[in-house]
Amino acid sequence: MRHGVGTRGHTVAAAILAGAALFACSDAAIDRREGAEGWRGVELPEPLDVPDFSLTDTSGRPYRFREETTGRLTFLFFGYTNCPDVCPVHLANLAATLGDLPYAQRRRVEVVFVSTDPERDTPERIREWLDLFDPAFVGLRGPIQRVNEIQGALHLPPAVRQAVEERRGGYVVGHASQVLAVTGDGRARVVYPSGIRQMDWRHDLRQLLALEDTVAPASGVAGSGEGAGAPGGRTVH
Amino acid sequence: MQWWCSARGIPWTWDWRPYPGVWLLVGGLLVAWVGMARRHRSTTGERIRCGAGLVSLWIALDWPLGTLGSGYLAWVHMVQFLLVALVAPPLLLSGVPRGALERLRDTAVFPVVRALTVPLVALLLFHTIVIATHWPGLVDGLMSSQWGSFALDIAWLAGGLVFWWPVASPVPHRPRFPWGVKIGYLIASTVLMTLPYVFLTFAELPFYATYELAPPVGALSARDDQRLAGLIMRIGGGTILWIAAGILFWLWYRAETESERRAPR
Repeated sequence: MRHGVGTRGHTVAAAILAGAALFACSDAAIDRREGAEGWRGVELPEPLDVPDFSLTDTSGRPYRFREETTGRLTFLFFGYTNCPDVCPVHLANLAATLGDLPYAQRRRVEVVFVSTDPERDTPERIREWLDLFDPAFVGLRGPIQRVNEIQGALHLPPAVRQAVEERRGGYVVGHASQVLAVTGDGRARVVYPSGIRQMDWRHDLRQLLALEDTVAPASGVAGSGEGAGAPGGRTVH
Repeated sequence: MQWWCSARGIPWTWDWRPYPGVWLLVGGLLVAWVGMARRHRSTTGERIRCGAGLVSLWIALDWPLGTLGSGYLAWVHMVQFLLVALVAPPLLLSGVPRGALERLRDTAVFPVVRALTVPLVALLLFHTIVIATHWPGLVDGLMSSQWGSFALDIAWLAGGLVFWWPVASPVPHRPRFPWGVKIGYLIASTVLMTLPYVFLTFAELPFYATYELAPPVGALSARDDQRLAGLIMRIGGGTILWIAAGILFWLWYRAETESERRAPR
């Protein structure tokens, strides 16, 4: 009988340890994924020159992308503040991961959000919305034709009004769901589609910052034609 | 139309959605109880407890809790877990007419029930189910399909029934499970539930892709949502188990007083 009790005790202990191991394994699985080689995003076969565009920021001032982001790792994202799914998820996960970085690293990273719905996205609305994620995020807007030209130069599909929600009197905007990682030399190198998790951002941020140390800043800033534009050399203003 | 709640990745709206599978389950349990109550006399207390158990189950699985918990918010998923595994089962078990449970001895399923409800087996089985059904790989794998989500909910309910049987069944199939040990059984469970709580509450990153990548509902971040889920598991689960332990203590006290009163002087 005593033997039976002992066996039961061992069984309970084993079960508790197995449970702990199960959860520890799931945590370790995250760690292992973090340690994996390569990118969690999609590395572009050839880095893509980001055109030297200029749009208006949320304080009403012109924002020249090249000039403002040279020498900094920049995440460029096209979306809209009424987006019900992809945009808030991307920005929330990016903000949470950037918030984990030490200050010295965090200040080397810029997030630039370009509105694909300038009709509803007023500067105030964009600012208010971005502040929910991180007040340091930059919000830009401009005529939709210009925004679509910039997207076209980056090989992204143009934003389109997809459907009208009659009952709510609104509409949704179909737009590219990728975040582009642009290194300080003005080149997009890795693309992050929707579905990228915080552990993925954390993993790639380390590599992107390391990569950032190796690239030279864009030789031509503020509209010099050198190296500007997508393959084909197009510059969009 | 969906028959059971699952993660769909579409933006949340407050538009009502029907889930016939939930109605079928709750309705089926109600029909089964009415059948038992017709054959065996049921008390008012049993009727109230069974009704409360069915309502708990229905609230947990149907819109909006079911929808929010299956695809949007981890903390709602945890509330569902508490209702399905810790609230509904003891109410349902203690709401079954005593005569029906006594007749269980004569059925073919009794040996299975008896084996599963050995307290140590029930304790281990339940906590294995709790840990497994909160393991990120399993949750993300199951929640995206209706059958998977259904399996998860049924596992909670079945695990809860097995777990609560030794303490909540009105028929003493195991008379050698004394009051004090019953209370210890519940307290041990509060300790065992600490494990998933610790991992959920103190994890650096979100565990579940289902909730991390879900269209947002409210302003809660994925990390805070997960922490809240852990806290609900700890505080909510602990409260339920401690209340149950308190009720058992009171019943124990009443039984002792009664036996002393009846004892010949």
